[in-house]
Amino acid sequence: MSVGRAAAVLVATLAFGCARGPSPQTALLRPVVMPDLSLAAESVREQARVRAQALTQAIAAAQTAPSARAAAFGELGKLLLAAEYGEAAETCFADAELLEPGDMRWPYFLGQVYRKTAQPAKAEAAFARALLRHPGHVATLYWLGETRLDQGHLDAAASAFTAALTIAPGSASILAGLGRVDLARSDFASAVTHFEGALAADPGAAFVHYPLAMAYRGLGEGAKAEAELRRPRAIAPGPPDPLMQEVASLLDSAMAYQQRGIDALRRNDGQAAAVFFRRAGELDPSSASVHHRLGTALFLTGDAAGAVTEFEAALRLEPRLARAHYSLGVVLASRRQNAEAIEHFTAALRLEPDYLEARLALADVLRSLGRARDAMPHYQQILMRDPAAAGAELGYAMTLVIVGRRAEARARFAAGARRHPERPEFADALRRLSTGLDAP
Amino acid sequence: MTGQFNFHEIMGSGVALFDYDNDGDLDVFLVQGAGESKLFRNDVDPIKGRQLSFADVTTQSGIRTTGYGMGVATGDFDNDGCVDLYLTAVGRNQLYRNNCDGTFTDVTDRSGTGGEGWSVSASAIDYDHDGWLDLFVGHYVSYDPAKNTACFSLSGRRDYCSPNAYRPQQNRIYHNNHDGTFTDATVAAGLAGDFGPTLGVVADDVDGDGWPDLYVANDGRENQLWINLRNGAFRNAALLSGTAVTADAKAAGSMGVDAADLDGDGADDLLVTTLTGEGTSLFVRRGAAVFDDVSGRSGMRGASLAATGFGVHSIDVDNDGRLDVISINGAVRAIDALVARGDRFPFRQPRQLLHNAGSGRFEDMSGRAGASFELPEVGRGAAFGDIDNDGDTDVVVANNNGPVRLFINQIGNRKHWVGLRVAPGARVEAVRPMSPILVRRAATDGSYASASDPRVLVGLGDDGTPPAIRVRWPDGRVEQWSSVAVDCYTTLEEGTGR
Repeated sequence: MSVGRAAAVLVATLAFGCARGPSPQTALLRPVVMPDLSLAAESVREQARVRAQALTQAIAAAQTAPSARAAAFGELGKLLLAAEYGEAAETCFADAELLEPGDMRWPYFLGQVYRKTAQPAKAEAAFARALLRHPGHVATLYWLGETRLDQGHLDAAASAFTAALTIAPGSASILAGLGRVDLARSDFASAVTHFEGALAADPGAAFVHYPLAMAYRGLGEGAKAEAELRRPRAIAPGPPDPLMQEVASLLDSAMAYQQRGIDALRRNDGQAAAVFFRRAGELDPSSASVHHRLGTALFLTGDAAGAVTEFEAALRLEPRLARAHYSLGVVLASRRQNAEAIEHFTAALRLEPDYLEARLALADVLRSLGRARDAMPHYQQILMRDPAAAGAELGYAMTLVIVGRRAEARARFAAGARRHPERPEFADALRRLSTGLDAP
Repeated sequence: MTGQFNFHEIMGSGVALFDYDNDGDLDVFLVQGAGESKLFRNDVDPIKGRQLSFADVTTQSGIRTTGYGMGVATGDFDNDGCVDLYLTAVGRNQLYRNNCDGTFTDVTDRSGTGGEGWSVSASAIDYDHDGWLDLFVGHYVSYDPAKNTACFSLSGRRDYCSPNAYRPQQNRIYHNNHDGTFTDATVAAGLAGDFGPTLGVVADDVDGDGWPDLYVANDGRENQLWINLRNGAFRNAALLSGTAVTADAKAAGSMGVDAADLDGDGADDLLVTTLTGEGTSLFVRRGAAVFDDVSGRSGMRGASLAATGFGVHSIDVDNDGRLDVISINGAVRAIDALVARGDRFPFRQPRQLLHNAGSGRFEDMSGRAGASFELPEVGRGAAFGDIDNDGDTDVVVANNNGPVRLFINQIGNRKHWVGLRVAPGARVEAVRPMSPILVRRAATDGSYASASDPRVLVGLGDDGTPPAIRVRWPDGRVEQWSSVAVDCYTTLEEGTGR
């Protein structure tokens, strides 16, 4: 009997097979129709099997308390939510809520299912039910605000965010939520207040810069807006949310671990990323992409040797993976293994001739070896494609110095300094060249 | 569809509506992925009850497509009065010159517009005001069908990749040399170094200086708003303009685009369809290249969250004078609920008609657009135009791995309208006493991988008073016609007005 069939049949038993007849709640339970997991990873199938079996047992045992049955539905629901099987997860949480109406987790998770399946009105209703059971739950208030914002219900969104803020006054995510409501109302002054407050609460909150820029722009403060736009951008993560954090860390599949690794890399947490990618590799040893990502994470943590091992493993699995050749070249170049680096950059370019990063890296290595005449055509090729490519412009000018074309180099450095004020290397090189120092 | 999860197969293709034989009705060009693209001649007979019929004229037209077909752009590139075809593909693109005798000649090699790679949407744009159409070609990602990357869902099920699995490819702009050849002006135009995986493009004057700018929709990366600097170059102003990302700073999976005056203030707004869960973005223009994201408060976001939108266009479905929105939808990753039901192509989503209720709000009226309109399919390209010449806008939809659909508008012509044949790129204002001025642009680009009716159709509601028409021509000249007949099409030529 399949996992799905077992669950569905046993829910029916609970509803209709009890000696004294079903309770009003259990009579309303919907059978959980499990998704077809036959194409899912074996590890995920096993997770589902274990949880479905636990649900089966909870249903079968007459003495099981409703809360325990609800928990069994909830555990299966969380796994299905994590695996993006929204429809089956919805049934699980709905049944859990029916069995244990006092537990805020079930309507909360239900709200998250609806949010992730793009049903904002249903999500709003579910979050509102969760709040009836736990009025001060910050994450619920926050996501209630977001779903209302999605629907353009601005006053209601503001009310949810405001309620959340009274409980978590220092939350940058919530302040930013209020700011976005202000932006939608074109109340730019209030938006600035909220976004600046968010940045004061969390100076590293990259998700504030873009909407703050829009608020400044609305107030006519162009310079401030442009300054904010030069800063990193991100999406608001929401306030800390242990319930959804549990869901996010639940799935035992290579892709899920890869995703966690990518998220960790976005947080600049190379150590954590490496752990996730390693686990992904254990689950799917045949994935060149996993080895490539693990190599990247290891390199970021300073483990160049480990990175080389992983990039080489990626290339053994997929010799035509241009990214892996490029990454391996970068590590080898950093270890001054220039001949091997050149070999891999060249391989990357053979596979993808328009791979400009690889071409620049190749040109830079050639230049560093004094092979200016070999480097020059690569720089020229990049600059033909993109005359504003700062790295190529700088490298090309430096190559001109090496071959003795100093006047041209000077002009290039000067132009680069004008065009790329964010790259002080141009001005520095120009200064060194002007003061007679040969190698900028 | 091979079922091998080849990335290019899930992206689908486009469709064009254009009058290739200059007989006054719109013909249909259907781009096919792996198969041969088709040209259908419209044989509508306006005398005999507007009975629509089409004839497959591909063979006699001389059009022989190569590569894996993606999109189509139309325009009279050689100024001979006949509309030419530019076809994008995975592989080499093709430019077909219309010989004005029902046949086409492949002039790709001579024109220099072949541009290898993977391109999807293109736009014919006279960006230097020399009176000749140039060509912007949006490229997607560096991709070799023979090396398709294996991608998986979180549960480990094989699925189609996202563009993040590949590196984006540089877009191209080709300058028309007036002699049948083009020069790749990508570098000179300043477009070389800044590109994302492009799926949609629309040319429109977003800063009101009379010169066409370019809005480029990128899949999972920031969109670009290329402001025409009037010297052959462009500057990307998307971020400060407020059109690069969503209000919460997300670089959405942008697919289809349109530019139109959705709020009736005389300035064109921008519309971008995106992935499920992201919602269609509506950027309302507030000044010169300054936009506000009103997706949430307009109802656009809430109504579209559940859909992955591709083809999109602002049309006045009921000719009430307000532009509505039609979005052609279809997922790019398997929909779990459909998988559970055993759907072998689990990407179907219903199309949407978002009715402009006035006061900045849009309401989902898909349920009143007809049962066949609501039928979930895997929609991709869509072209919009008055196929039966009855005064309202019809829709042709290209479905991925499914039949083409032709939706005939049955309600628009219950109201009054004015139809105008003007040069593409012209801006038209319909002026009536005691009524707001209605501003429309004559264009074929936008949507997804498709080309639409170049004629302008202005819904006038119940007011049958012939409006005055003011036209700003692509070269900046403004002319007016004091009274233009309603409920029929009129040709307005530059130099014949006041």
